Amino acid sequence: MPDAALAPKPGTPPQATLNSALDARGAGGEPLAALRARAREAYESLELPYWRRSGFWQTSFAGLDLASLQPIEREPDPAAAPQIVSGRANAGVLVQRDASVVHVELDGELAERGVLLCSLEHAASAHTELFERYFMRRLLLDRDKLEAASAAFWSGGAFLYVPPGVIVEDPFQIVYEIGAAGSAQYAHTLAIVDRGAEIRLREYDLAGAAFDGDALHAGQFELYLEDGARCRLAQLTDWSQGCVSDASTSIVEVGRDAYCHWLPALLGGRLIHHHDELVVAGTGGDMAFRGVLFSEAQEHLDVFAVDLHETGPSGGDVHWRGAATGESRASFEGLIKINQGAQRSHTYLQFHSMMLSENAKLDAIPSVLVGADDVSASHGGTVGELDEQAIFYMQTRGLSRPQAVRVIVEGFFEPLITQLEDDQLEEAIRSRIGAKLAAAAADIERYALAR
Amino acid sequence: MAPQLQIRNLHVRTEDREILRGVDLTVQRGELHALMGPNGSGKSTLANTIMGHPAYEVTEGEIVFDGENIIELEPHERAKLGLFLAFQYPVAIPGVSVANFLRMAINARREEPIKMKDFAAQLTRAVDLLDVDRSFTSRHLNDGFSGGEKKRAEVLQMAMLAPEIAVLDETDSGLDIDALRTVAEGVRKLHEDQGLGVLIITHYQRILDYVKPGFVHVMMDGRIVLEGGPELVERLEREGYDRIREEVGSRA
Repeated sequence: MPDAALAPKPGTPPQATLNSALDARGAGGEPLAALRARAREAYESLELPYWRRSGFWQTSFAGLDLASLQPIEREPDPAAAPQIVSGRANAGVLVQRDASVVHVELDGELAERGVLLCSLEHAASAHTELFERYFMRRLLLDRDKLEAASAAFWSGGAFLYVPPGVIVEDPFQIVYEIGAAGSAQYAHTLAIVDRGAEIRLREYDLAGAAFDGDALHAGQFELYLEDGARCRLAQLTDWSQGCVSDASTSIVEVGRDAYCHWLPALLGGRLIHHHDELVVAGTGGDMAFRGVLFSEAQEHLDVFAVDLHETGPSGGDVHWRGAATGESRASFEGLIKINQGAQRSHTYLQFHSMMLSENAKLDAIPSVLVGADDVSASHGGTVGELDEQAIFYMQTRGLSRPQAVRVIVEGFFEPLITQLEDDQLEEAIRSRIGAKLAAAAADIERYALAR
Repeated sequence: MAPQLQIRNLHVRTEDREILRGVDLTVQRGELHALMGPNGSGKSTLANTIMGHPAYEVTEGEIVFDGENIIELEPHERAKLGLFLAFQYPVAIPGVSVANFLRMAINARREEPIKMKDFAAQLTRAVDLLDVDRSFTSRHLNDGFSGGEKKRAEVLQMAMLAPEIAVLDETDSGLDIDALRTVAEGVRKLHEDQGLGVLIITHYQRILDYVKPGFVHVMMDGRIVLEGGPELVERLEREGYDRIREEVGSRA
C-alpha cells in the first residue's frame, strides 16, 4: 500500500514535487523541430511547477499568470553591453534582450582560430553538426511546465564553441537582460569547450531599466567540457527589485581529466528556482562548485545544487555561502550523488549561512547518495550570526556599526568571491552585497540588538 | 590645553552586578599612566567603558574627553575624537586584510579618502616601527595570528590611527619576552615622538620595565585605592597585592 501522506496531490507531476539529479541521458539527439514539438506537447499537458520540501516550505510558481507574459522581440543594438562587461578586455560578448539577441562581438583572432560565438538560433542552422551533437545532450524538457516552455519557445540564445587546445585568458560574456514588464524570456545557452581548451565564461541574468510589473525568465544552460578542457564559469543572477520569476536549469558536464570551477551568485529576484548540476562524467574529472546567495525583502530563492559523479576516480568540492535579510526565504538543497561503479570519487559539500534578520529564513538541506564503496563523500556547514565583539572592535577603530557589519558580511563571502579572479565582477558582487546590507541596516540592527 | 581624558566618579554595572564603584582618573596627552590591580578588580571594565562597550552600563559619573562628556557617544565617535583601545583579546576579522582594514579606519575619520601613496608611506613607517614583515599587512586581520602577532597588530593600528590617548588593556599578557619588548618599544616611541597619552592596564610589572610610567594607579574592587609615581610599581612587585589590600582595607 502506498503511504497516503507521501503521495503527491492529484494532478501534480511527481517529478516536480522533489528535486532529483537529472542522471538520465538528456532529451537531445533529435532534430530541433521534433524537440520543440515534444516540448510543446509537454508544456500543454503540465501544470506550473512547485517544489516541496517536507517539513519546510514550498517554492511554487502556481501564481504565475503565464498568459500575460509574452516573448518581446528587440532590434539589434550595438551599444547593448551593460556596464558590467564594458570597458574591459573580453574574448567575446553576446547580449540577449528579452526574446532577441541584440549584440554579438567576438575577438577577430579567436574567430580565425575557429572559436564560434553566435546566437543559438544561428548555430542551429549554420553549425548543425555541432548543434545536434550537443544540444540538450543532458537537459530534459518535460519535468515541469516552465522547463517545457523554455525548450519549446526559446529564441535567440547563445552558442559558444572553443576548438581543441585553444586557450583564452579574457572572459566570454553572455548577458540575458529583461527590459520590460510582461516579458517572457526563454533563454538557452549551449557552450562547448573542446579537448584541452581553456576558457573563462560568464553569464549574467539582469534586469535592464527598472520596470513595474511581472516578467519571467525560464532558462536552460548547458556547458560541455571535453577531455582535458578547463573552464572557470561564473553566473550572476540579479533581477534587482523587479518582479521577475526565474525557473532555470544549468548543467555542466566535466569530461575525462577536465576541470570546472563554477560559481553562481544569486543576488536578487522575486521568485527563483535554480537547478544547478555539475556532472563529473569522465575519469580524472575534477571540479570546484562555489556559490553565493543573498536574498532580501520579500524575495524567495530556492537552489538545488547537485554534485554528480558518474565515474571515478573523480574529485568534487562544493562550497556555498548564503545570507538573508528582510522577510525573504532562501533554501539551499545540496545533493552529492555518486553512481554505482564511480569508485575512488572524493567530494565534500558545505554550506554556511549568516543570519542577519529576525524574519528571514535560510535553510540548508544536504544529502548524500552513494552507490560505490571506495569513495569519500560527506557534508558540513555552519550557521553564523554577527559577532558583537567583532563589531565593537571595529567601532573602536572608527568604523560605524553599519560599516562594521558590512566588513563582517563581506568577509563572510570573501573566500568565495576572490576565487572569481575577476576584479570587475568581484567589485560588482561586493557592491551589490553592500547595497543589500545598507537597505536592510535598520532590520539588521534590530535583530542584532534583540539577541 | 592638551587633550585630556577625565574620568569622574564612574560607576558601572553589567546585567548582574556593579563593577566600578566610583573611579576618578585623569590622563593628559603626553602622559604615561599605569593602572594595576589584581584579576577581577575592574580594570578591563574601565577600558571597555571608556570606549563605550554596550554591555557596560554607566549608572553614575562621567567620562570627559576634551571638555565633552562622551558617555552618550557611540564607540566609533569616541574613536574619531582620538581615543583608542588596544584589546586584551583582539578579535579576528576574516576576509579583510590588515592594510585594507586600516585604510577603511583611516578613511572613516577623514572627509576625503587618503591617497594610496600617502597611505603606503604611513604603513611602511608603522611596519618598521613594529618590526614585522611587510607581508603581515596583507594577511586577514587577527585571523590565525599568534598571540604576539595580534598584539603587534594592535600597536600597528595605534601607530596608523594616531590617537590622542590610548588605553592598552593587558597588552602584555601572554607575550614572550621578544614580543613584549617590540610591543613596548612601539608604545614608547609613539609616546615620546608623537606625544601619545597612554593608560597601560596590566596585572604585572613586566611591561613597565620597558615603558616607564610617570603615574601609577592601583585598582581594587572597582575603586582606585592607591596612587603614586614609578616607585609604586617596585613596591607592588616587592609586597604583592595582598599586602596593599590589608593596608587600604584597614584604612577604609
